[in-house]
Amino acid sequence: MVISKVASPVFKATPYITFASTVKACFLVPVITTTSNFYYFGDIIAIVYIFALGRFFTALAGLDAGTAFGGEESSREMTFAILVEPMLMLCLFTLAISAGSTNIANIIEIGNPIFTPSKVLAFAAFLVVVIAETGRIPLDNPDTHLELTMIHEGMILEYSGKYLGLIEYAHYITQMLLFTIMADLFFPLYISSTLNIQDLIVATIAYAIKMFVIGFAVALIESTRAKMRFFQLPSLLGGGFILAFVSLLTYLMLGK
Amino acid sequence: MNTFIDFSSLIDFLSIGILLTTLSMNGLKRLESCVKAYFFNSLFLSLLILSVAFLKGETHFFFAALLNFAVKCIVIPIFIGKIIKDMKVTHDVEPFLSNSLSLVISGILIAIVYSAISKGVYVTGFSKNVLQISVAVILISLFIIISRRKAITQVIGLLFMENGLFLAGFSLTYGMPLIIELGVFFDMLMGVIILGIFVVQIKRIFTSTDLDHLTRLKG
Repeated sequence: MVISKVASPVFKATPYITFASTVKACFLVPVITTTSNFYYFGDIIAIVYIFALGRFFTALAGLDAGTAFGGEESSREMTFAILVEPMLMLCLFTLAISAGSTNIANIIEIGNPIFTPSKVLAFAAFLVVVIAETGRIPLDNPDTHLELTMIHEGMILEYSGKYLGLIEYAHYITQMLLFTIMADLFFPLYISSTLNIQDLIVATIAYAIKMFVIGFAVALIESTRAKMRFFQLPSLLGGGFILAFVSLLTYLMLGK
Repeated sequence: MNTFIDFSSLIDFLSIGILLTTLSMNGLKRLESCVKAYFFNSLFLSLLILSVAFLKGETHFFFAALLNFAVKCIVIPIFIGKIIKDMKVTHDVEPFLSNSLSLVISGILIAIVYSAISKGVYVTGFSKNVLQISVAVILISLFIIISRRKAITQVIGLLFMENGLFLAGFSLTYGMPLIIELGVFFDMLMGVIILGIFVVQIKRIFTSTDLDHLTRLKG
């Protein structure tokens, strides 16, 4: 792999940091059981900022290689992050207040039903967040290397070989993890609270079905929508932000 | 009475739907989409009246829901759609403020309304939440009227405001007698027709529905 002469050690460290932070986030998310010793190391807010760590270093690496594309896309990615992060936090606050805890395992165990107005609004906002964070089509296209459209791809344009592999792998894990968080927070059915083998089997089947449904929905959105212009994104993300804001207000005022 | 659907939670959903369709007016650029948003807003309003009718079991609510559906979901959207088609303007809404800024302002308006009508208000109707939401709808549609240039968008904003007023009145009083509601619907229909004629005239004289032209005096 050819590394730019101006690149600093940050460039080489970034793939490992991105991958490690994503794997760390995996330990904090319950998949089929809420029994684990790891959940006391971090709550849902920690998970959000572990993702942000990986994103921060990817943006740094984009700047570090000294190419024009890297800088441009890093700037875009950070603009994006400013808009997405408050939306995500407001969604999570709604859920955390309704469960009385920011610990994701507690939120699942309390298992409030999704069918309240505030939860439905939070779900709609979270869907926008998932699409934005995974870089799917209405907001970013993961398959293109056209300078007008790429956001995430532009930052990692200088990588190849095992570094690129690590970053791509981390990206796939992030996507799966966000789908899992969505299933955990909004459809916490059949997630086992014990280590009973029967419950675990049921939970595994339920998890597979949930993942299939969420993946299908995201694929449906991706294949029926066109890529939006970059300067139109604040309008969509602003709409999502207002959804999350109204969701929080609705919970605080209506109490459900 | 053992019902299959929980109507009181259905009312919460429908009122949130009314709020969201009003909010979506801030983000829409095409006039057809605005009319569609109005259609859904009125549909949710009719369904809300219908669910209150099932909850209370009074017959004149059914008539009110039906009338609401007929006037606001069928007649007025078709009429405004026809005006838009005649004027050959599709999506030049041109607000004074950008979409995201007006969305944020609407969010702040909702917060103000929620905190202002949260305590110390004694509500006689079926739900305090519906009153809060209806006041928020009135204020947001007032903001839409203020922040838009085009006459046709302002008319749509006025219609949203009327829906909010209807909702507020309904949530406080369980609806008025049928004869008064008939009168209100008739008045509204006439108002929309007159406003529609005005819009067409403005378009014909000034070759634009931009209301800034009206500041100049011209015969």
